Amino acid sequence: MQRATSYAVGLIVVFAALAAAQTTRQEMHFKVARRASVSIVNQYGAISVKPAPGKVVAINAILYSGKVEVDHSKGRRRVAVFSHLLEGADAQTGRVDYEVLVPADASVTLHSTTGPLHVEKLRGDMMVEGSTASVDVRDVSAGHIHIKTLNGPVTVTNVSDGLVEITSVGGDVALNSVNGSLVHVNTSSGKIHYDGDFGDGGDYSLTTHSGDIEAIAPAYASIEVVARSVQGTVEKDFPLQPEHTSFVPRAGSAFAGTMGEAASSVKLLSFSGKIHLKKR
Amino acid sequence: MTCEEFKRVLPELGSGHGIEQEEHLKSCCACSDLVADLNAISKEARFLQGSEDPSPWVWNSIEVALRQEGLIRQPQLHPQTPAPLLGWRLRWLVPLAATLLMVFGVLIYQRGTGQPQMSEQHSPPAGVVTANLQPADVMGGEDLQLLKTVGERTPSMRATYEADLRSVNAYIRDAEQSAHSDPNDEVAQQYLRNAYEQKAMVYEMALDRSLP
Repeated sequence: MQRATSYAVGLIVVFAALAAAQTTRQEMHFKVARRASVSIVNQYGAISVKPAPGKVVAINAILYSGKVEVDHSKGRRRVAVFSHLLEGADAQTGRVDYEVLVPADASVTLHSTTGPLHVEKLRGDMMVEGSTASVDVRDVSAGHIHIKTLNGPVTVTNVSDGLVEITSVGGDVALNSVNGSLVHVNTSSGKIHYDGDFGDGGDYSLTTHSGDIEAIAPAYASIEVVARSVQGTVEKDFPLQPEHTSFVPRAGSAFAGTMGEAASSVKLLSFSGKIHLKKR
Repeated sequence: MTCEEFKRVLPELGSGHGIEQEEHLKSCCACSDLVADLNAISKEARFLQGSEDPSPWVWNSIEVALRQEGLIRQPQLHPQTPAPLLGWRLRWLVPLAATLLMVFGVLIYQRGTGQPQMSEQHSPPAGVVTANLQPADVMGGEDLQLLKTVGERTPSMRATYEADLRSVNAYIRDAEQSAHSDPNDEVAQQYLRNAYEQKAMVYEMALDRSLP
């Protein structure tokens, strides 16, 4: 029995070593001017972007086979990196994982089918797009955050003074402590979860066709809120001051009203899902 | 002077035309319309001049697109990726088509509900609204063509796109019915806009050659 276990461990080690031997690492460093633009287009694999001091873009790419290459181009204020699939490459052999360090004021554009895609602690604009890729954006401020996925789940955490637009067909969307002048989420079947105070003076629109919406806010939130589900149910934990709407609010399927000074506008719209405005 | 000859010299013409060109313009509606359109575009374009440089993000996106189209490239000693499904000359049509799809859908709907008596009818007029009220699991010709394109390029993604198209079509169907029942309902209009935005995104992503 002990011998069999030893053989199994040995085999695992050998396979792991073989797998490691097939990956290659490629490092690139680019000096850039302030507010540079960094674009990574990766058909298969992860992209992680973090800030670094100075005016240097550092890219560490791990290639999983010889059937993919990494190409790049650069200018004074831009860096573009592409995974270049060679003939016969597939999701396994065409995979490249990128770890990217950029100046905090850089704008980033990320594309990957499979992901995952991760961005943190940046101040610039970002466009993040993936099909089944999960997207995780956190600790960013003052930028335009534009995220598109087909089915990949989206998590956005700790965003202040942002302009956030998220479109996903089937991916669930979670927003935690996200504030900004405009926060729009549009999904078809994905659930939407918001946990925050809706800021001061923003336009929040969380819309889904068949997904549920759960919005958690503190008692001090200052909002004008409209919630409506055509076929589902709506629920609220807050007393609201009633207001005029373009539709007739019906108990259980729609409500509208204000809290506090109604600083931000909040729309919670689901066609057939449940909507719950919860008190934190 | 023939139309062909006129078009050949058109780029060299300034604000004025020669006698020969003027005579051709008087006798040819097509060429006079063309000149009128060009003049209108030229006039409007003056108002589009921005006072600030575009962000580097814009230039970078343009470069990404050009590189993806193969218009600019680094020297490569390796085999190229498969040929694009759309020629680069037509690639600019993709975002345009997606936008038009969305606008067209909303316009078709609004035309269908523009007449007040429609909201009182139990069955919508043939050929206007019924065309959009197809069951969610019935896909139109464009959808099937899109799935064929995706299937040829990346067979593993076909099922994903098919499921997503069905989901989005169901959204559009419900949104249209909701807006149809109350044309003055702003929320119903928003459902409709969002539904078409979803569909435009699916088309845009399916035809984006940077992603398989």
